[in-house]
Amino acid sequence: MAVKVSMTVNGKSVSHEVEERTLLVSYIRETLRMTGTHVGCDTAQCGACTIHMNGRAVKSCNILAMQAEGASITTIEGVANADGTLHPMQAAFKEHHGLQCGFCTPGMVMSAIDLVKNFPDTTEQQIREQLDGNLCRCTGYHNIVKAIKAAAADPASAKAGV
Amino acid sequence: MTKQGVGSRVLRKEDDRLLRGRGQFIADLRMAGLQDVAFVRSPLAHARIRGISVPPEYQGAVFTAADLTDIKPIRAVSGLPGFKVSEQPSLACGKVRHVGEMVAMCVAATRAEAEDIAASVQLDLEELPAVHDMLAGRKSDTALLHEAWGDNIFLETNVEVNIAAALDAPIKVTREISTARQCQVPMEGRGVVAHWDNRLDQLVVHSSTQMPHIVRSGLSECLGIEHGRIRVISPDVGGGFGHKGILLPEEVVLCWLTMRLGHPVRWLEDRREHLTASANCREHHYRITGYASRDGKLLGIDCEATVDSGAYSSYPFSACLEAAQVASILPGPYDFPSYRCRTWSVATNKCPILPYRGVARTGVCFALELVLDAIAREAGIEPHELRLKNLVRPEQMPFDNITKKHFDSGDYPQALSRAIAAIDLPALRERQRRGEADGRLVGLGMAIYCEQAAHGTSVYAGWGIPMVPGFEQATARVTPDGGLELRVGVHSHGQGHETTLAQVANEILGIDISRIKVLHGDTAFTPYSTGTWGSRCTVMAGGAVSRACEEIARRAIAIGAFMLKADAGTLSVRDGCVCGPAGSVTLQEIAYVWYRRPQDLPADVNPGGLEITAGYKPQRDSGTFSYGAHAAVVAVDAETGAVEILDYVIVEDGGKLVNPMVVDGQLYGGLAQGVGTALYEEMPFDGSGQPLASTFADYLLPGPTEVPEPRMFHMETLSPYTQFGVKGIGEGAAIAPPAAITNAINDALRPLGAAELLHSPVTPRRVLQAIAVARMGKAA
Repeated sequence: MAVKVSMTVNGKSVSHEVEERTLLVSYIRETLRMTGTHVGCDTAQCGACTIHMNGRAVKSCNILAMQAEGASITTIEGVANADGTLHPMQAAFKEHHGLQCGFCTPGMVMSAIDLVKNFPDTTEQQIREQLDGNLCRCTGYHNIVKAIKAAAADPASAKAGV
Repeated sequence: MTKQGVGSRVLRKEDDRLLRGRGQFIADLRMAGLQDVAFVRSPLAHARIRGISVPPEYQGAVFTAADLTDIKPIRAVSGLPGFKVSEQPSLACGKVRHVGEMVAMCVAATRAEAEDIAASVQLDLEELPAVHDMLAGRKSDTALLHEAWGDNIFLETNVEVNIAAALDAPIKVTREISTARQCQVPMEGRGVVAHWDNRLDQLVVHSSTQMPHIVRSGLSECLGIEHGRIRVISPDVGGGFGHKGILLPEEVVLCWLTMRLGHPVRWLEDRREHLTASANCREHHYRITGYASRDGKLLGIDCEATVDSGAYSSYPFSACLEAAQVASILPGPYDFPSYRCRTWSVATNKCPILPYRGVARTGVCFALELVLDAIAREAGIEPHELRLKNLVRPEQMPFDNITKKHFDSGDYPQALSRAIAAIDLPALRERQRRGEADGRLVGLGMAIYCEQAAHGTSVYAGWGIPMVPGFEQATARVTPDGGLELRVGVHSHGQGHETTLAQVANEILGIDISRIKVLHGDTAFTPYSTGTWGSRCTVMAGGAVSRACEEIARRAIAIGAFMLKADAGTLSVRDGCVCGPAGSVTLQEIAYVWYRRPQDLPADVNPGGLEITAGYKPQRDSGTFSYGAHAAVVAVDAETGAVEILDYVIVEDGGKLVNPMVVDGQLYGGLAQGVGTALYEEMPFDGSGQPLASTFADYLLPGPTEVPEPRMFHMETLSPYTQFGVKGIGEGAAIAPPAAITNAINDALRPLGAAELLHSPVTPRRVLQAIAVARMGKAA
């Protein structure tokens, strides 16, 4: 049965009829055609589908679009600065070679932004522990950890608004 | 201008789109009329298909082998003597031979609907005894996968060099060593989108592949369509590691389906399919004996190695990809006089095998390095001392080893010595004597390997598989505004070629890398290539880009000489200009004349202009040999079996590094995969051939808290045979960690007597078992 869902995605109101069983990630990718949010495991373990829902990082493969009714969603497409330059976290990933194939990267960046918001004076150990829900097969994580640490120390992060 | 050429640590050009979520991975493509495919896959490991029933409402949306009468099976033949050929049907025909084998193809508007249809298809299967254990499968009284063979052996090989001379050695150590079956697990699964382009009269196949040109050849053979009517496009690919170095049966059937239905079709591998139904790798068993003199001089290695090859021979690398290599690479970086190695590639009721980073090297390094530690214990010397007595020495380079591998260059003893120095061995031994406050046991382990990379025609011609790499080619084109386009047939899926190949071109032409566009992943506009595998791209595609750019430089100089009214012999290309004693002209100005003002060109100008395809092979195509020494310090909790890596040192030599930042990234990533192999990753099967890991809750990948940050040290011994002296290094760091870490665990457990871990991954359960066995031995 089709149901109507309405939410705000990257600051824009959207509303569609979808099948009840539609996952939030499918809604974002297939209906909204925003393909930066990836599916890596279907079982909420790899974190490639991480987005922000009402200000919290969540795995969008593990909730239904219906559960996001009325929510404010931010995806990787919505984090760059208003002038089009990279968000400090994105810039730090580039600067520290925190990505290789780039498939886990959007989810990593979304988790990392949330992490720094919750732990502004974060330590390396804390970053590793907090990042436990995001898997990367290419980088061995060190450069990701370095990038997050650098972004946390960057005063621009606090102003970035995501 | 900041240096951007070979050796520069420049940031990557590909990052921006990937960071913004603008990458174009296979699942991101959209086409009008696209429908999704889900497969009905075999729930049994071995069964006869008695019937397939499709509900009447889904007739027309479900296809089986009976529909595919015009498709040939996948045949990945090896030319090695005695190889038995398997025929892999694209959809199972008569029998299923592994869990996950495709039996029917269902198509619908969405994947969810296609899966609904798949769930409604009923299979009537007559279960047959399954071969789940390769050692049992080698015997004559076992079930047969391919009845016509008479046994289950794809290939048996035997290498023997003077083994009789070693048999009376004073030290003789025999071990039975094995490694678990693994999955490669790129974060993006595979996927295929196929459609027919009516204008070009061409089948267009988007596939998440490492080798678009090889896929095209395979599709041509299976579908009976000429190459010119097939275009394969590999978009952004979310990691490969070997898993995407294959012609997929899914590719074949989706091509058939789009031609049948007339609209685009798509299949995306989900994680369950990846883990349970796709190719696996690296399940090895070794019975290995090391012979040595009392003082630890290695006199010989005698080994029986068995590899579980799964049900079919994968295209193009074949089912003997691992076992046949085992025999030739088992001696590793060591020099010893006697050798024997018998290998078996055994067909079992499991997914076929594919290459995975390091391929057989991870297994042979594990087997050999564990035995070397056992010999060192027997000889009563430090493990690094044993190795230093036996490693090939720098003054022997280039060196032909006992299996005729040609080591091009390097200083293996220095790499090991530096690793041991970095660990501080005396301090570590003192720490072990003191003991840990928390009661854990600390140990040191090491492993050293050399990695044949970018091996070419001579090596693969001997192997005789469907793919033999020849000259690698690249096309370079100066654009009318003075930029540069590079077209290469290799593919990048994390390696950073869009940056590193631009750096190679910058080294020769001096064009800013922001103005160099690397194009890859499309058979329509790149030169033929066997693709990305075997740590070959920097050597082979980098070499080809060099040759093409050198020729561009020569042609630009010829035009520049005319424009400058100078003798071409006095001119050279620097910083994007043709420069001479009396002035210079930019490549942009030269390009402008060639494209826009041909009336200004000299009469004898080379008509090939500023576009060239050049080919490259190193002076020898037997491969470069990068190498590395790894040393690990671990703490083992004898009560829980938990292992913590306290320190990890890598000393590596990849020759000239095009971009050291990218190389460091490869080492970090390789180590992480090596840690997974050592401690976590395992695809177990039960006695009926059922795979027992189907999600990341069962198949454990190392996360950020499991991978230690290594201390890395670089050496730089140039290859004498390659452009710039580069060596392939992409796989190396994944090879040694299982051996180094397990040796460290065995060193830690020495106070507990004969406890010794010989099977990877070294899970807590296995640690506790080994301790229990040692204690029982003591009690007896």
